[in-house]
Amino acid sequence: MQRIVATLIKEVQLLLKDRTGFVILFVMPVLLVLIMTLIQNQAYKSLNEAGVPVLFINFDNDSLGTAIERGFEQNPICKLQVYHPDSTANFEERVAFAKKEVLQGTYLVALIVPPGASQMLREDVERMMDGFMNGDSLVVEEKPLEQIHIEIITDPVARKSFVMAITSGLRELVASVKTRVLFQIMTQKMSSLIGADTSLELPESDFFVFNESAAVSDSQPGLIPNATQHNVPAWAIFSIFFMVLPLASSMINERITGMHARMMTFPGSYLSIISGKIIAYIIIANIQFLLVISMGKFVLPLLGMPMLHLGDQWLALVALTFSVSLAAVSYGLMVGSIFNTQQQSAVFGGISILILSALGGIWVPLNIMPATMQQIANISPLNWALKGYYEIFIRGGGWLQIKWEVMKLVLFFAGNLLFAAYFQKLKRN
Amino acid sequence: MILPPIITVSQLYKRYPSSATDALKGIDLEVGHGEIFGLLGPNAAGKTTFFSILCGLVKPTSGTVYIDGKSIENDMEAIKKKMGVVPQDIALYPTLSGRDNLLFFGRMYGLKPSELKPRVDALLDLFGFDENRNQAVNKYSGGMKRRINLLGGMLHEPNILLLDEPTVGVDVQSRRAMMEHLKDWNENKESTIIYTSHHMEQAQQFCHKVAIVDEGIIVAKGKPNELIKEHDCNSLEEVFIKLTGKKLRD
Repeated sequence: MQRIVATLIKEVQLLLKDRTGFVILFVMPVLLVLIMTLIQNQAYKSLNEAGVPVLFINFDNDSLGTAIERGFEQNPICKLQVYHPDSTANFEERVAFAKKEVLQGTYLVALIVPPGASQMLREDVERMMDGFMNGDSLVVEEKPLEQIHIEIITDPVARKSFVMAITSGLRELVASVKTRVLFQIMTQKMSSLIGADTSLELPESDFFVFNESAAVSDSQPGLIPNATQHNVPAWAIFSIFFMVLPLASSMINERITGMHARMMTFPGSYLSIISGKIIAYIIIANIQFLLVISMGKFVLPLLGMPMLHLGDQWLALVALTFSVSLAAVSYGLMVGSIFNTQQQSAVFGGISILILSALGGIWVPLNIMPATMQQIANISPLNWALKGYYEIFIRGGGWLQIKWEVMKLVLFFAGNLLFAAYFQKLKRN
Repeated sequence: MILPPIITVSQLYKRYPSSATDALKGIDLEVGHGEIFGLLGPNAAGKTTFFSILCGLVKPTSGTVYIDGKSIENDMEAIKKKMGVVPQDIALYPTLSGRDNLLFFGRMYGLKPSELKPRVDALLDLFGFDENRNQAVNKYSGGMKRRINLLGGMLHEPNILLLDEPTVGVDVQSRRAMMEHLKDWNENKESTIIYTSHHMEQAQQFCHKVAIVDEGIIVAKGKPNELIKEHDCNSLEEVFIKLTGKKLRD
């Protein structure tokens, strides 16, 4: 035990003297969380909150134009700017103006409803009804229906999903107006046919009500993934794994200076020496985690970003964080055992963590990755860790939901230790 | 009462997996209690291999080594507790102070905190360290580093001290001081010292007995003065050259 404590004290002393290692372990995670959350907060905002600028030029000024205007004003993803041109305004000029505005990036989408669109719709529907009631067929009608051309101008860099959302909304509103006009004219015609003096309006409220909600935990109602909920655990994991650099470097340095060989002449097993190192770096990993979590809990809200919700499954959180620390430390030990120089370990360790983090959904959330990449992500221990934190922080899951992730991380730890021991033995011989 | 040898080596062979020849070719050796025993030889003679076997870093291919009655094959842990090792390289943590390095060594040897700090400070006083004991080792001169390196092996007051060229790169003053301390320590603590060096004059003055090793075998062993007389030479260095030749070794 004394040897473990001795190694622990020595590792802490070495770390306190190593400014570069200190920056990598403690300053980098704080900066990463801050910067990445700030950057991604805008992307999440545009997905979750109002903010897509839409220009609406309403030449119609009648039921169709008004229905579209009202519909988009109520749409949470739109920030609508409406123009009502007077009768003297030129349609083509306005279309050109809208294109210019979109091209300049002022608006992401522009919608232009032509003059007299509602009247044309009414006339078309009325002619259809007349034809039907007179027994004429539409296809043989001499004069075809007048088509109403609604202009949709989109920014070429706009996300397809935004454009789809806007055009779908537009089609829905137009269909609703069309149904209403159809029903109105049909009831008018029927009334005059049967000689009744009554007219029937479609109710304002729809027949269908869509109840939309995110499948989140009962204990955390209303909590949905946001920049904080993703970035804080993601960069905490990344930083913990990035300890491969100082840890591997410390091991190689001990070999180069002869300290490793000298320690092998001390009484006691090598396991006790390495245990002290493992414990020291597990403590460091947990301090890193607390630091990053504190950023999400206390600092990010001060900067106008969402606060991190930790859930209430504390034991699961402790078990997961401990297993992440074990996995990261063992990876550092393995890298430190394989390579002979600090340069080799820094290049391999740094790049491998970057690749594993990119694969694991640290940089870009998994749900927006292609299906194949989501499958490949399963090989990354950083992905197992991230899935575990998502389960606890977002879905309110506990031990039962994260147990497989924890087990995978512990197996990764054991596997790395075996590899490290093998390479150490190889080098000794 | 005549004590049995503290180190007994019989027919010690070592061949490294990557080598076609033996690094040690049947070494037989006995070292008595309280002796200062010099292991001398040109480069690549097998000194370091022998030294590494004694301190448990390398396993022999065949042969036996008993230290204080215990076999290195079965009782290395017990042997390590009684042994201090001073490697040729300055094996210290360069960013830690000399004092912190020694405190770490002491803890690793299981010294109690109550005795460790006074002992470290007393040794640092004895070896000429003042306030600089709290400076990082990488700020020390070569001599200071060597002294801390030496103290790291002596701190737990071992029965057997293995010194692998402990004064390499050290000025005359520091070297003399270190050797005098070691001599005093050997007399006062009745500790056995195994010492390797290329300094023949120093070995002649310092060692009770020496063994000259070349190409994995012991070519001569005995008291320095007896060897000088036996080979009809004026110094141990002449004996060494006579036995190992003038050819350059790598």
